[in-house]
Amino acid sequence: MTDAQQFETFMRNYQNMVFSTAMRLLANQSEAEDVTQEVFLKAHAHFDNLDGNPSAGGWLKTVATNLSLNHLSRYRSRWSFFSELFGGHEEPQEPDFPAEDNVEEALLKTERCALVEQALQELPPAQRVPLVLFHLDELGYEEIAAKLNVSLGKVKTDIFRGREVLRRKLRLKLSVE
Amino acid sequence: MNSNRDQQLESLISQELQALPELTAPAAVADRVMASISQRRPVSWYRRSWATWPVALRVASFAVMVALFGGLCAAGWGFSHSEAYSQALHRGGHWFSGFGMFGNVLSTLADSAVLVVKHLGTVFIVACLVAAGLGYALFLSLGTVYFRLAFAKSQPAHL
Repeated sequence: MTDAQQFETFMRNYQNMVFSTAMRLLANQSEAEDVTQEVFLKAHAHFDNLDGNPSAGGWLKTVATNLSLNHLSRYRSRWSFFSELFGGHEEPQEPDFPAEDNVEEALLKTERCALVEQALQELPPAQRVPLVLFHLDELGYEEIAAKLNVSLGKVKTDIFRGREVLRRKLRLKLSVE
Repeated sequence: MNSNRDQQLESLISQELQALPELTAPAAVADRVMASISQRRPVSWYRRSWATWPVALRVASFAVMVALFGGLCAAGWGFSHSEAYSQALHRGGHWFSGFGMFGNVLSTLADSAVLVVKHLGTVFIVACLVAAGLGYALFLSLGTVYFRLAFAKSQPAHL
């Protein structure tokens, strides 16, 4: 097997994970594709160390996360403008999904995943990014605040709001309610 | 906020998100990466960092560097114990004697400055120093204002 074939096999093993990481942070397919491409070009430069290395997946995920955050930070001021213009802190809107009580049971697993994925991608970046970093990348609040260069209080509030939006959209039931 | 409710919600959201399968990357991504890699020209070994050189070259270059360093040390030690070295030290002493003259010139200039100060009077000198200090403070504050205006960062981003 040539080096190129070896790298292609490596890339095909990890491309879904890298693409998912970028897609969930960016919520934009073409930008996620660009970030995925950039991650694998970096991986190619370090392929001697990554090939057969059990921590390669972690390395790729970290690079994908950092590149996605860099990508987002380039557009932060634009977000700021639009979120202020259209009210970035407005109360979550009512979901557009059918109002059946047993909606969770009625949906098949694949449909459920698609619904969760859609709900996640519809969150505003200010809520989606810290939420993904907390629940999927398993970072702590302080780490997220440091990564995003925002206050700890803002991270907690955004994550709380994001969870509330997801709860409504996904019709999650809490026993304490 | 109800912390019990929050914990329950956190746990539920974690379950929902962690149950998500990986998204399928479009096939075009892999093709784009492979095309981009094949278009890159391979960089010659001598233009890359030493750590990425072939092992044989790294060993050989390391041996050469060690030999050069050893040779340099031996040559330095041999020279420091030779007749030529003591002659060179003797010659160098003559050159450095020129610094003594330079010191004398500086001392004369300092004496002249003291005489000038005495002639002008203390009040005039103090007034000059105060004016210089005020001018420095003025330019510093103007520079600060300019820097802050020119390079001010935008408001903290709403991420």
